[in-house]
Order: sequence, then C-alpha cells, then structure tokens
Amino acid sequence: MSMLDTLLLISLLTVLLTGLGQRVTFIGWIATLLLTAQLLTLLLMGKLGYGGEIIDASFGFSILGQPLNWRYDALSWFFALITIGSALAGSAFAAGAWGDQYRKEGGNPGLLQFSIALNVLAMLLLLGSGDLLSLFIGWELVSWASLLLMVIAGGRASEFGMRYIVYATAGAMAVLAGLAIIFQLTGSFAYDDLAAVAPALNTLQIVTLTLLFFFGFGIKMGLLPFHLWQADAYAETPGPGTAFLGAISSRMGLYAILVVIIQLIGLVRLIEIEIPYSFLSLRDLLMWVAAISIIIPTFIALRQSDARRLLAWHGIGQGGYMLIGLLVLDPYGSAGGLMHVFNHATYQAALFLSVSAVIYRTRTSDLNRLGGLVTRMPLSFLVMLIGIIGLAGIPPMNGFVSKWLVYRSLIIEGMPLLFVASVIGTLGTILSVYKLIHNTFLGQLRLEHEHIREVPLSMTIPMLVLSAIVFITGFMPGLVLDWVGSAQVALGMPQLAHTLGGVESTQGSLDMIWVCSVLFGGFAVGALLFYSGNKAKRVHQLDNYAGGHFLTADVRYHYSDNFYAGLMHHIGSWYRGSFLWLESSLISVVSSLSGGAQLLYNSFHPALYLLMAITLSLYFFIG
Amino acid sequence: MANSILLTILEVILMPLVAFIVGLFMVLMMRKLAAKLQRRVGPPLFQPLYDIVKLYGKQTQISHGLIHDIGIIMAVGGYVAAEALLPVPGMDGIAAKGGLVTLAYLMMVPSLGLALGVGQCANPNGSIGISRALTAMLAYDIPFIIVIFGVAYHFGSTNLVSIIATQQAEGIAGWGISEMPILAIAGLFALHASLGKQPFEIYIAPAEIATGPMVEMGGKFLGGLFVMQTFQLYTASVLYVSLFLGGGENWVTFLIKCFAVLAIPVLIAYLFPRYRTEDLIRLVWKWPVMLALLGVAFVMN
Amino acid sequence: MNNIAFNIALPLLAAFLLPVIHNGSAKASRLVGPFVLLAMCWFAAAYFIFIEHPVALALGGFLPPLGISFHLDQLSLLMAVIIPLMLLLLWPYTNREGFREEALLLLLAGASSGMALSGDLFNIYVFYELLSVASFGLAASTHNGAAFAATFRYLVISGLGTVLALTGIGLIYTQTGTLNLAHIGQLAAQLDNNVGLAAFALIVLGIGVKAEIFPVNGWVPEVYATAKPRISALLAGLISKLAVLAIVRLLVVAYADTDALSLLLVLGILGIIWGELSAWRAKDLKRMFAFSSIGQLGMVLVAFSIPGEAGMFAGLAMMLHHLLVKPALFMLTENWSGSISSLTGAARQSPLGAALFILFALSLIGVPPFPGFWAKLIMVTGLVGADDSLYLLALGILLTATVIEANYLIRCAIQLYAPADENSSQSAKHGRLTLSISSALGVVLIISLFSITPLGNKLYQIAAEASNRSLYINTTLSNAQVPALRKIQ
Repeated sequence: MSMLDTLLLISLLTVLLTGLGQRVTFIGWIATLLLTAQLLTLLLMGKLGYGGEIIDASFGFSILGQPLNWRYDALSWFFALITIGSALAGSAFAAGAWGDQYRKEGGNPGLLQFSIALNVLAMLLLLGSGDLLSLFIGWELVSWASLLLMVIAGGRASEFGMRYIVYATAGAMAVLAGLAIIFQLTGSFAYDDLAAVAPALNTLQIVTLTLLFFFGFGIKMGLLPFHLWQADAYAETPGPGTAFLGAISSRMGLYAILVVIIQLIGLVRLIEIEIPYSFLSLRDLLMWVAAISIIIPTFIALRQSDARRLLAWHGIGQGGYMLIGLLVLDPYGSAGGLMHVFNHATYQAALFLSVSAVIYRTRTSDLNRLGGLVTRMPLSFLVMLIGIIGLAGIPPMNGFVSKWLVYRSLIIEGMPLLFVASVIGTLGTILSVYKLIHNTFLGQLRLEHEHIREVPLSMTIPMLVLSAIVFITGFMPGLVLDWVGSAQVALGMPQLAHTLGGVESTQGSLDMIWVCSVLFGGFAVGALLFYSGNKAKRVHQLDNYAGGHFLTADVRYHYSDNFYAGLMHHIGSWYRGSFLWLESSLISVVSSLSGGAQLLYNSFHPALYLLMAITLSLYFFIG
Repeated sequence: MANSILLTILEVILMPLVAFIVGLFMVLMMRKLAAKLQRRVGPPLFQPLYDIVKLYGKQTQISHGLIHDIGIIMAVGGYVAAEALLPVPGMDGIAAKGGLVTLAYLMMVPSLGLALGVGQCANPNGSIGISRALTAMLAYDIPFIIVIFGVAYHFGSTNLVSIIATQQAEGIAGWGISEMPILAIAGLFALHASLGKQPFEIYIAPAEIATGPMVEMGGKFLGGLFVMQTFQLYTASVLYVSLFLGGGENWVTFLIKCFAVLAIPVLIAYLFPRYRTEDLIRLVWKWPVMLALLGVAFVMN
Repeated sequence: MNNIAFNIALPLLAAFLLPVIHNGSAKASRLVGPFVLLAMCWFAAAYFIFIEHPVALALGGFLPPLGISFHLDQLSLLMAVIIPLMLLLLWPYTNREGFREEALLLLLAGASSGMALSGDLFNIYVFYELLSVASFGLAASTHNGAAFAATFRYLVISGLGTVLALTGIGLIYTQTGTLNLAHIGQLAAQLDNNVGLAAFALIVLGIGVKAEIFPVNGWVPEVYATAKPRISALLAGLISKLAVLAIVRLLVVAYADTDALSLLLVLGILGIIWGELSAWRAKDLKRMFAFSSIGQLGMVLVAFSIPGEAGMFAGLAMMLHHLLVKPALFMLTENWSGSISSLTGAARQSPLGAALFILFALSLIGVPPFPGFWAKLIMVTGLVGADDSLYLLALGILLTATVIEANYLIRCAIQLYAPADENSSQSAKHGRLTLSISSALGVVLIISLFSITPLGNKLYQIAAEASNRSLYINTTLSNAQVPALRKIQ
C-alpha cells in the first residue's frame, strides 16, 4: 500500500465518518482531526515537493477496456497541500463556537463538514488523476461536490448553485467533447498517448481541442465571459465553506488547464498558431482572456457592498494572474503563477474567515452597516490587514512575491499591454480592499456594536495561523518556491533558480528577506520618531471635527456608501452589465424556443404531424 | 561576506538620513519658489526643520486609537525603507535586491499606512479625502507603471543599479531622456500628479472637506506627514533622475539634477488651479497614458 | 417444457383464462399473473444463459423463409428476460379492482415477448398490434376524463401509425417477395432504392409512434401525465424500447448501409431538441419526465444510427440505461404530481424518495461514475468515431441537451430540498410499494455501477452479435431448427 492509498483512504474515512455522524455535536473536531491526519500523510509524501519520485496508487481499474490510474507528482502534491490546508482551516474554524451558533440558527454543521470532506476527497482524486478519463471523473466529482457545498445554505444560495451547475455542466460537456476527439485521435485516454500525438496534430485540431478544454476548464476559474456564477455562489456558502471554496475550488480549473493544455497539448504549439487578421497568436488570445479576467472582476469587486461578494469577485480576478503567469512560459512567469495559487489560498482563506468572524459577531457582512470594529475585534482586524496586503500584492506579504514574478516575466518578455492590464488590476484591488477594511474595521463604531467582543479562540487560531503563513512565505518565499520549482519540473517547464529570499538574476533580483527587514527597520525608525514626540492623548471617537456641530452616538458619521464616488462618476457608465444581459438573453432564447417546442405538443392534432413527417421523409428518399 | 552585509546595513541606515536632509531642502526650495512667484520673501533656511520639531513637541496631541498611530508610523517607515532601494552616488543600499517593481510597490505602503490611520479617525472628511487620494493614485500609477515598463524593457533589467550604470557608460546620449524622450515627458507628468500638488490636490481641498486626510491630524501626526512629504519629494525626484537622467555621477550633479526635476512640477503647481477627481482621471488617463504607450511602442520596435 | 414459444403462448393464454379463473377464485386469479411472469423469466433466462450462438426456431413445421421463425440471439433473449422482470416489478400487487388490468398486463407481456423474439416482419406487426391494444387499455385504466381523452389521442395516432407500418411492410413484400427478416436481409440489395427506403420510412414512423419518435409522439405527454405512474413507467421504459428494437432489427438486416441511417439520425436529433426543450419548460414532474423520455429516446435513436458495432453498442447502452432509470423516476411521481413548485420540502416527507430522485437524476444526466456516464461516454466516442459532420452536429446537440437536462432535473432536486412553505401542504409521502420498486431499481443501478466492466464486455458481445448481419441471415436460413429437434443442455 503506497502513501497515496493511505491518503485517499483517510480522506474517504473522513467523508464516511462526517456523513454518518451528522448528529454528533463534536463532529467538527473529528473532521478537523481527520483532516490533520490527511495533512500529515501528505507531508509524509513531502519528498514530492523537493523533486521526489512520482507516487502511484496501488489500486487502479480498467473500465470498458480503459485503464484508470491515480498517481501524485510534484504538481499534484502542491495543489493537494493547498486543498487540504484550506479545508483544515475552514473545518477547524467551523468546529468550535462557530458551529454551535450555526446549529442554533438551524444550520447543520455536520453537513457542512461532510461537504468539505467530500470536496477534499473529490479534489484529491482529481489531482491524482493519471489519465484523461480519471481526470474527467475527478472533474465531475469536484463539480458536483462543490454544488453540495454551495446549496446547503438554502434560499438564494440554491438559485446561485443552480446557475453554477448549468455553467459547470456546460463546461464538463465541452471537456467531454474534447476527450472524445482525443480518443478518436489516439485510441486511448492515456496522457502519454496524447503527448505523443500532439506534435503531429494539425492547426484545426489544436485550435478545437484548446478552445474546448479552455472553455470547459476555464468556467470553473470564472474566466470571462463565464464569470457570472462564481461570486454569488461562493459568497452565499456558510462562512468556512466560503473560505475553502474561495481558496482552492476554482484552482482546480487551473490545474486541469495546466495538465491538459500546457503539459499535454503544449504551449509551444499554441504560440505557433496565428489568429487570422490580428497580431495575436492563440496563446496571446488566452492571455488576453486572462488579463480581462483580472480587470473586469476586480472592478466589479470594487463596487460590491457585501464583504463576501467583494472578496469572491477578487478571487476571480486573482485567478487571471495565475493563468497569465503560466502562459508566459518562462521560469519566472510560471513560478509566479503557481506560487500565486498557494499565496492566494492562504490570504483569501484568512480574509474570508475574518469576514466570517465579523458576521459571527455582528450578523451582517453589509459594508454599509459596519465600521469601527477594530477596537472590539483587534485580532480579526490584524488578520484582515495581513490578508488585504497579501491580496493587493504589496510587500511584505506573500502576494507581492508571486505577482512580482509575473510582472517581471511580462516586462522581460516584452508584453507591455498585458503588464499594464495586470497592474491596473492590482491598483483596483488596492482601492477595493481598502474600502473593505475601512468600512468594516475603521471609522465610527456603531451603537449596536458597542458591546461585542473578539471571537473565541477556536476561530482566531485558524485565522492567525493562516496570517502567519501569509507573512512567513512573504518573508521567505524560497520555502514555497522549492515546491513550485518541483512542480515546474513535473510540468516539463524550465525550473526557476531561487534563493530563500527570492530570486537572484542579473536582470533584476528580489531578496524579500532584505526588503522585509529594511521595511520593518523603516517602521522601527518611524515608531522611534513617533514616540519621541510628545505623548498623545486618546480621545473618544465622537470627539471629532464636525464643522462646529456636536456629534452624538446616533449620528451616522461614517463615510461608506459609494466610496469611490469620483472614480464611479467616470467609469460607472462602463458597468452596463453586458454579460448579465447576454446571460439573460440566452435564457430568454432557450425559454422561447422551449415554449415553441411545447406548442407542438399542445396545439394541433398529432396525426397531422405523422402525415407531415411521412410526406417529408418520403420526399427525402424519393424526391 | 560579513563585511559586505555590514556595509549594506550601514548604507541602509545612511541613505534615509541623506534623503531626509535633501528632502528638507527640497521643501525649502518649494516654499521659496512659491514665495518668489507670489512676490514674498519666503521662509529661512531651517524653517522646515523647525516646523517638524515644533509639531512633534506640541502639547496637544490627539490620537484616535492605535491604528491612528500605526498609520503614521507606516507612512514614515515605508518611505524610510523605500530610500534604501534608491541608489545615490556611492551607495547602492539594497537596490540590487529589490529593483524597480519592488520600489514601485513599496511606495504604496506609506499610502496604505496613511489611509489606515485616517480611516481610524472616524471622520468622513478624512475618509473622503482618502477615497480621492486612492483614486488619484489609481490614475497616476497607470502612466507611471507604463513608464517603468518602457525603461525596464529598454535596459533589459528591473535593477536600478544596472540601469544607472548603463546610462552613465554612454554619457548624455545614453541617458533615458535622450533615448526615450516621449517616455520621459509622460514620466514627468505622472511624477507631478503623484506629488499631490496643485492642480492635483483635490483630496486635500481645505475649503470643501476640511483638508481631507489631515482633518484629524495635529501635532506629531501632522509632523509625521511632514516628514513623509520630505521623503516623497526626494523619492520622486531621485527616481526620475535614475530612470531618465543617468542617476548621479557624483553628489554635485546628482543634487542639481534632482532639484531641477522637482522645480518643474513645483512651478506648474503654483501656476494652475485645482482639478476635480474625475477630471484628474480623465486628464491623466488620456495624455500621459497615450504618451507613455507611444513611448513604449518606440522602445519596443 | 423448455420451449421459448411458451413465453408468448403462456401469458396470452393466461390473459384469456384470467376472467374464468377470477370467477372461480379471486385470490387464485391474483396469483396467476406473477406465476406466469416468473415462469417466463425462468424460460428466457435459461436460454439466455446457456445459448452459445444465435439460434433460429421455426414454428409451424416449416423451415424459414416459409415458416414462422423466431430469432433467438442474446439481444432478443435479454429483452425476453427483461420484459417479465419489469412487469413483475411494476405488477399491481395492491390492485383489488378485479382482473382487467392484470389481464391487459399479461397480454402486454405476451405481445412484447413476441415482438422481441420474432424474426418475421409480419409477426412483428401482429404482436405490435396486440401490444397497442393492451397499452390503450392500460393507459385508460385511470378511469377519468383526461385519461380517456389522452388515450383517444394515442389511439388515433397509433392507428394511423399501424396503417403506415402495414403499408411499409407491404412495400417491402412487393420488392422482395418475403417478410422473413433474414430473407429480406439476403435480398437487401433490392431494397436500396426509392421504394425500399420509402418502406423503411413508413415503418419507422408507423412503429415510431410507440417508440416516441419525433414527430409522431404527440400523445406522450398527455398519456404519461394522466396514466398511473406504473403504466407510464411501463410505456416509457419498456414498450418504447421494444418498438425501437424492432426498427433496429430491420435496419441491421436490410438497411445498414443506406440513407436510412441519416433518417434515424435526423429524427433522433429533432427528438432530442424537442424533448429536452419542452421538458425544460414543463410545469409538473410527470410531463417533465414524459418530455425528457422523448429526448432520451432521441438520444437512443441517434446512438443506433451510428454505423457498425459502435452504434449498436452505444444504442444498447443508452437504451438499457434509460430502461432502468425512467421507470424508477416515473414511480416517484406518485404523490409528487401537480406543479413542481408545490414540491418544496417534499424531501422532508419522503427522504428516501428524494435521495432516489437525486441518484437517478445524476445517472440520467451522466455524472460519473454512475452508469449513465459510461453509456454517454460510449455514445460520445461512437459519434466522434463516425467521422461525419452530421454526427458531430448530433454530438453538439447531445451535449447541449445534457446541459438543459441537468438544469431541469437539478432544479427539481433543489426544489425538493428547499424548506417547506404553505404551498406544500399536500402529502408528498411515497407508498411503501413505490419506494421499494424505485429502491430495487436503484440497487440494480448501484450494482451495475460496480460491475461496469463485465456488464460492458457482455453488452459489447451482445452488440457485436446483434449487429452482425450475415450471422443473422445465416442463422435463420441455414441453421434453423424445428423446435422439437433441439433440446437445451
């Protein structure tokens, strides 16, 4: 029995136990324990992260003559680490006080833990797939498992889940069509056969396959124009579930794109294919999809007034960075893209958890109904602060390192517009995350929030651990870059040479240990200066300049709504909801078509159709 | 090895110090220029320093909470750190370990710090000011970043040390401004906007939102912002000099270039009125961005 | 008494004797049906298990092509096993209203076995007629106005269809001078002309009334919506498949290399489009399933229209899967009638029913690892393998239809689990019998999930045999046996 078997068995056990123990009050802790066991098992397979041998599962099936295999290489291991890690964070967060409150409000924490465990199992299977058929099976399992997680909240969540599953099925069907074409070309579903035949494919075949797979897998990433489902569906999931989904779920699409398009079909072929009447190659087209997927969702996020939706929209935008980096195809870009998967998972989970903590205490995530919570929930504030610095990609957090790698490769490879597009995304992110933290934690504390306290330890510990990871991997990115390097090798890409602090190169290096140290040194100087001044006196929040008026507790003195009025005045007209219009018109088309279809069964006498059909088919043969 | 680390640490300590002193003189120059234009005498030599000392030593020091304090610390500290990434004659600091992109993003730390501090004050005037300031940042950072791309692509490196070395090796003909004149103009534009001086100082708007971010700032808080401004002037001009004017061969030419670069936006600032935020976006996104893209196109072909 | 002919004779006999037995003892008459069906199962299963290669049986003492011939290969025997099994499952055990329905069901059993086993076009026609009569009676057995109206519609169109089919058969006879399928196959060259193809079209559309082929399926939604769930399950699950098989038999022996394939393909595509689109908009569960089965039958038809073994394999896989899933779903509509929106919270009242619904829905959509996925995979690879743009179009439509299918099925599933509101006052509990029928089918589904490989291999073997035209012809014409001469083991 290989380690992989053990891992999958423990995962299966987690699913079974959480499934059976729905009524057990401490089910959350059992799930957390079992997920910890999964994480430990994965760490025991840790050699993979440093260029170890591929681990095969000792089981395998042959169905209808097609072998199904599972194996873990460095790439699978890297993604699995993120999956289990974020599931563990979510599960631990939900296990204690949060779960108790959730139960009191009529929710079923056992079901939530079960869905998380099920998702983990499905993802572990997908990540271990050793051929296209098991990849597709894993893909579908992940899709349907995440539907479960999305709809357990009931109410509006079911609508969004429904919308998700339509998109997901459409994607899956595109993938299925691609698989069928590959099967026709190679006669098998094996990776090696596809890789062997790929160089001999003609342009049409490459384009068809690429577009089918990109469409199919891209839907899970929320790439434009198939981005509408994601934010709503993620945001309506119960808190810890959102953290898990937001951290890793849509990265499964990236994993599949990596394996099928980049590894098997090969990016080099995509670069060779020119799109007629444009200066773009097929690869450039995909990069532009990624770039637009950065910009538009980021600016949609900027407009949200619900904390969870805001973060969920950013999740889509950040996915674009990963894809763009990986498509550049140099060691810097691909390392940046892969590393961003890890980094994004850590800070996004931390952010969602801190928003959940706020919801836990205040019962709302409406950014216009919060404010000033920093004095009541300082730890949650700290987590969110670290999280938003990571999300915005500012030193010293880990998000900066991965984005730096992506920027750098775009600069050196000479892709100005894509570079600008990704920077615009970052700037938009800074604006929007400041609004998030400002409206939640800064400014005036509302009267009804006077008496709330910090969330219990069972919730702060997972958040703080995540934040610590965000900082440490920003301080010493080499820790993650080791794994990323092995994953690059597994993908057949050039490996990024790196140091513990970043990269060393004549064309511009990065040493985060120095940068962070100097930054904190700078803060120390700033603090020294500040505290050398005369001692400051703390005043009440109402002791404030109000143009000569007296402030009382019932005066709303917090600027939150329409936060970037000037910017919206200018770009507001760009939010025309064209994609929503597109979606709803598609629905109307299907609706009227089906109305027409039903008409056939409702109105005339069927015998007439019989005669018409006979006439037509006789005409078909004789005429 | 240990020696070079010690040397680097020494440089990292010295560079912000130099920056602070030069920055003080830049503030002085700015005020003097304004006074000349308005036919006044202007402040004496040490007035900026006196101002800072006065603010730090004031009796009344109003704090709105820990984040208010930390915001000011971040605002100053971020610039202190950024100076270590800006090479000056004889000192490279950690410029080779960070590079252009890191510098650009490190320069956002002070803005974020200021924003956090202001947010904690619970004053809508401050928040509105920050909202405008961040929007303005979104506006001028786009041409700025295109300029950075063009320069980095042209010199094939994001390392400021090697960018400066390449320029100096070829004399004035090799300077960024001679090779990329259009980018240099766009860069100047972005530099001006980034300083937040007239006509781009809507987020302060004393009459409308009670000086915006500064509304709850007094004493050492305002003093911190003053220090921040000295660093800001220094950083912006040195960065421009390093990118387009060949950096500093020696301290004399270096300082002349820096002050000259700074004089241009300062002169313009006192000759023009104020723009609304949205006008600012329109203006900055139109002309400098177009210029910068044009410049990049020339660099890349 | 190990003759397969009893599979036809016994139920027919029992059906006619049932009134007499009922007069004697009502209790005994209730035992007759299950007993006969068990016996049929036994005979057919014995043949199915022990048969090594296809056999033709000649009844009436004449060898084919003159005599009435039965063609026993694995496919026809498989159907002969499934028919009594299905009827046993859907038998009205709780029926206390006399013998009429039971007699009709026995009639149906005999007629459908006859259709499955016949190797003769005219016999197929006769059994088809018999089947129709039985199914009219069953469809109307709800005894209310709507059911009668629907059945009348069904009757009219079915009657028209029969006439057309008969015309087609007549045309074939004029062209070849024979009605024995094997013999027709031998003379297939004479049918590859306008008249021959026209005959095929007439037969397809005539018999297609039962096979729910577009556009002659106008009766489907109303009949299924008004008939008892049991009867809908039977009609949608079993009877439609027998009609399809009759068409496929004719296709394989006589029209395999002709334009007939494109006719089936086009009709199938239209069926998918119309069925799935209508189902998407359907307001109640019964109609939704009715439309969905039109769509599914369209898929089956498309699958069968793929040339060669691949088509037969795909068609059988899709067909058997639908045969398993649709009856179970129809059974669940008992007490879940009325508009879909009134089903909110039904899962709380009938948790097992809702769980089964989800299981079958997932399989129907084709979510791996359920059997429906493998059937769809076989079909998809077959369609791509056909290497023709029309088949690629069919692939696109199939995949799009799957998305629509997922949409309406999951919409219902979510509705079931939504918290109950005042709309859902009606009892949505399932009877124990209903649940056990659906569960039994669910168990079969799960078992087949875990034995996909042996099932697939067996099915491929069946498909290879069934699509082998020369084997069919040779079996009947050179090796036909008068039954008395052959004994099984």
